[in-house]
Amino acid sequence: MIEPLTIPVGVTLEAFTDIDFWTSVGIFAGIYTIFALGLQLNVGFTGIQNFGQAGFMAIGAYTMAILTAEEGMNFWLTLPISVLVTIAFGLLVGLPSLRLRADYFAIATIAFAEAIRLIALNARELTNGAQGIFGFDDSWDSISESIEDFIVDLGWTAVPSLFPLFLVTWGIAVLLMFTLTRVQGTPWGRVLRAIREDEDAARALGKNAFSYKLQSLAIAATIGAVAGWLLAIQLAFVVPDEFQPVVTFIGYVVLVLGGLANYWGVAVGAIILWTVLEGLRFLELPISETKIAALRFIIVGLVLIGLMAFRPQGVFGKREEMVLGD
Amino acid sequence: MTDAPIFVADGIEKSFGGIQAVDGATMDVNRGSITALIGPNGAGKTTFFNLITGFYRPDQGRATFDGREVQGRPPYVIARLGMVRTFQITKALAAMPVIDNMMLAAPDQPGESLRNVIFHPVAWRRREEEVHEQAMELLDVFNLTRLADNYAGTLSGGQRKLLELARALMARPRFLLLDEPMAGINPTLGRRLLDHMQRLRAEEGVTFLFIEHDMEVVMNHSDRVIVMAEGRVIADGEPHEVRSDRAVIDAYLGGSSNGGGE
Repeated sequence: MIEPLTIPVGVTLEAFTDIDFWTSVGIFAGIYTIFALGLQLNVGFTGIQNFGQAGFMAIGAYTMAILTAEEGMNFWLTLPISVLVTIAFGLLVGLPSLRLRADYFAIATIAFAEAIRLIALNARELTNGAQGIFGFDDSWDSISESIEDFIVDLGWTAVPSLFPLFLVTWGIAVLLMFTLTRVQGTPWGRVLRAIREDEDAARALGKNAFSYKLQSLAIAATIGAVAGWLLAIQLAFVVPDEFQPVVTFIGYVVLVLGGLANYWGVAVGAIILWTVLEGLRFLELPISETKIAALRFIIVGLVLIGLMAFRPQGVFGKREEMVLGD
Repeated sequence: MTDAPIFVADGIEKSFGGIQAVDGATMDVNRGSITALIGPNGAGKTTFFNLITGFYRPDQGRATFDGREVQGRPPYVIARLGMVRTFQITKALAAMPVIDNMMLAAPDQPGESLRNVIFHPVAWRRREEEVHEQAMELLDVFNLTRLADNYAGTLSGGQRKLLELARALMARPRFLLLDEPMAGINPTLGRRLLDHMQRLRAEEGVTFLFIEHDMEVVMNHSDRVIVMAEGRVIADGEPHEVRSDRAVIDAYLGGSSNGGGE
């Protein structure tokens, strides 16, 4: 007979005061916020099921890394170029497949993202295969040091080395949330919502639905590329393994947690997910660490099931919109 | 020019697999008329609407609106020309407020382009004010003012029907195609809707082509009736002529055993 009370369950308090650790977690939450903002635009506001966001993230990260580390191009110049390349891929995916029914579009995009990852894995001359690319972040490092010096000057001497990246990531995330929310309130955003509700009705009222869906996808792809740069900088390398389909699925988890059709909810969803996921690392149970690592995902799954049962619209979603959206 | 028909369809054909849904439909619609399109179930009326508004591509045939060919063009282009349709099964944008449904339909909103949203914020905001005013006026006509801020999905079937008509009118059509506008709305609101159609025709010269099963409405409120059966036009004339047409009677009696109700 098992006596639950004798099982030592606990969480060390120091874990929650480890600022280096939480800075790193915060950066991941920020990167996933940005990543999922693109998904929110597509899924929550346009009604297109983009399952290839990890592919766009990969293209952004790889273009930046290849041009900087292998071609010796100026880091800052590679950013706009990688945006253009990502948009080009967005159009390449969208033009033939956005005319498909929603579920086929989802399949087409996931296939695209996997194709990109497998090319990155096998086109070794370009991408260095599974070894990945290093040495593209010198320009970032110098900016990071200036930010760090600035903070030290302000009086906080124990600045974690990743803290500048944390600030920049969340600065970008907040700026994007603000801008996207503003744009959503314009007639342009209204057309997107109409397409989400009923594409035929929008077309019957003179709206070129295809063009709007393409714009939505291109913008989401661009946002994905930004998330890709930040991920590359955080890791200091770019490898194909970081762009597995599961990255997109975690993006969807963030969407569902935060609620559809709300940009600020995305940040809430990402913070909840990463806090639960990483906080559970410090769980002390009489089982091995690998088992605890697996258990974390089980707990996230249970949280999601609970959410579906009690608050299916997510933290910030509107219940009416979910129920009425047929 | 003003005497020329506003809309002409010539030999429109469409088959799905082995079924010939529309089999050489030919008709013209007079400018400023209220024309009813009737026929037994399965006659191809809704398919015909889909063919001339760009939702289906015809296999054969020509359709011209105001002298411009429209067959095979995308729906949004046809709508922008001024030929606007509604749907038999209403397409209310459920998770959007009624007022947003209305404002969406307004033409010439520069703010629907992302470039203008960024570079011409004053222009689109000014247009938005005009559009809001027009939308509120139209909602008033259809008794929907108090529902302006409700989600369209919370409206009753009849209210949705009215919303869809009001929304189509926001698009400033010159030729309005209505697919069973009276179905599911109560007689009082139905009368209001018919009155408004008459007024729009008189004041703004809007032309109507509407599919309808209610014979009382068809006979009393249209100036011309076109009858379709088995994908073709079998009769065309004033209501009283059509009523006594042998082919029409045969089509209705032979077509569906339950007669001409629904």
